[in-house]
Amino acid sequence: MVKVVHYLNQFFAGRGAEEAAGSAPLRLEGAVGPGRGLGIDVAATLVCGDDYFGEHEEEALEQLLGWLEEDEPDVLVCGPAFGSGRYGYACGTIAREAARRGIPAVCGMHPENPGVMAAEGAAYTIPTEDRVTGMRDALPRMAALARRLAAGEEIGAPETEGYLPRGLRRNQVAGKTAAVRAVDLLLAKLRGVVNTETTADFDRVPPPDPVADLARATLALVTESGLVPAGNPDRLESNRAHSWFAYPLTGVDNLAPGAYESVHGGFDVTNANADPNRLVPLDVIRALEREGRIGRLHETLYTTTGNSTPVATAAKFGDDIAQRLRDAGVQAVILTGT
Amino acid sequence: MVFITALPTIATMVGANRILRGVAVTNPVGDPQRERADELALRRRIVERALTMLASPVEANTVWEA
Repeated sequence: MVKVVHYLNQFFAGRGAEEAAGSAPLRLEGAVGPGRGLGIDVAATLVCGDDYFGEHEEEALEQLLGWLEEDEPDVLVCGPAFGSGRYGYACGTIAREAARRGIPAVCGMHPENPGVMAAEGAAYTIPTEDRVTGMRDALPRMAALARRLAAGEEIGAPETEGYLPRGLRRNQVAGKTAAVRAVDLLLAKLRGVVNTETTADFDRVPPPDPVADLARATLALVTESGLVPAGNPDRLESNRAHSWFAYPLTGVDNLAPGAYESVHGGFDVTNANADPNRLVPLDVIRALEREGRIGRLHETLYTTTGNSTPVATAAKFGDDIAQRLRDAGVQAVILTGT
Repeated sequence: MVFITALPTIATMVGANRILRGVAVTNPVGDPQRERADELALRRRIVERALTMLASPVEANTVWEA
């Protein structure tokens, strides 16, 4: 009899949505929510709020791993987290830690979820869609791999078995030399078929030199918190933003509640809307500008919603905004994230 | 650039270089649990730390506490 433990966040465990994201870990008997759709017997379900995990990772892990140690499952199943970054990160992290302690683990999430990297190759990740409509497709595939891991089966390469590459390299003798394979890939690319034998990481940029003289520098504020003027005049999306927006800060000394709001769909905006300076510290920056700590605040705020944004889109936004800032002679930036 | 976020590990994974730990996901540079004057003082400390980080040399993917 295979013993399975399932990890869920507060939302999928039915404890509440964003308002419950700060909830501490808990253990429930049997299958909960999506766990019932796995088609395998779930002995226990571990739950943790997404914000709690991100902000108290050590305590969360201690609690969750403690329960895993007591339960001694044959396999741990986490998620699916789809496109949810905090949830994916929690899944990848707990899966990694469980695997390192001898409990094989399977996660489910979208290939661009930051949680994929959190697993650090120790656990298996089944690729899913980036939204909840992918649930019916994801569960059986996660369960299938979980059964095999629990049975101690040897798992083949990612391409054949349908999980995401774990960043591990196994040497094998190829039929052709690298030179021949490279030309084959190039010819295929010219025909419009793009393949790669290894994938690139997020690009690394060396840290820029320190700002030489802050008291003379122009500093800009940028945010992915979904901050917009009240009423969201340009219809910034709550997720999958298609664009970033620029709003004037001339004559604005602080972000007054009621004049600004956040439309970000990935966190509970109650605290932010009560005082938008909690997302973008305009009030403090203006004070520091008056005191001469910085030369001046750049007159434009750049904003978007960083929620389920494809990596390529986010990189493009960053490029566009950076170009604007560079053209405007900005020397320093504070970027706030949620 | 300094990136203020309550989830610095994710920031590190995607390659940000100057990372300052924010207060919480819902309020990176604020704290609704505090009295107003106290919260303003906290925001000020965080921003001043960010300015210090901007003016300091760092290794890649460096995280500072506020």
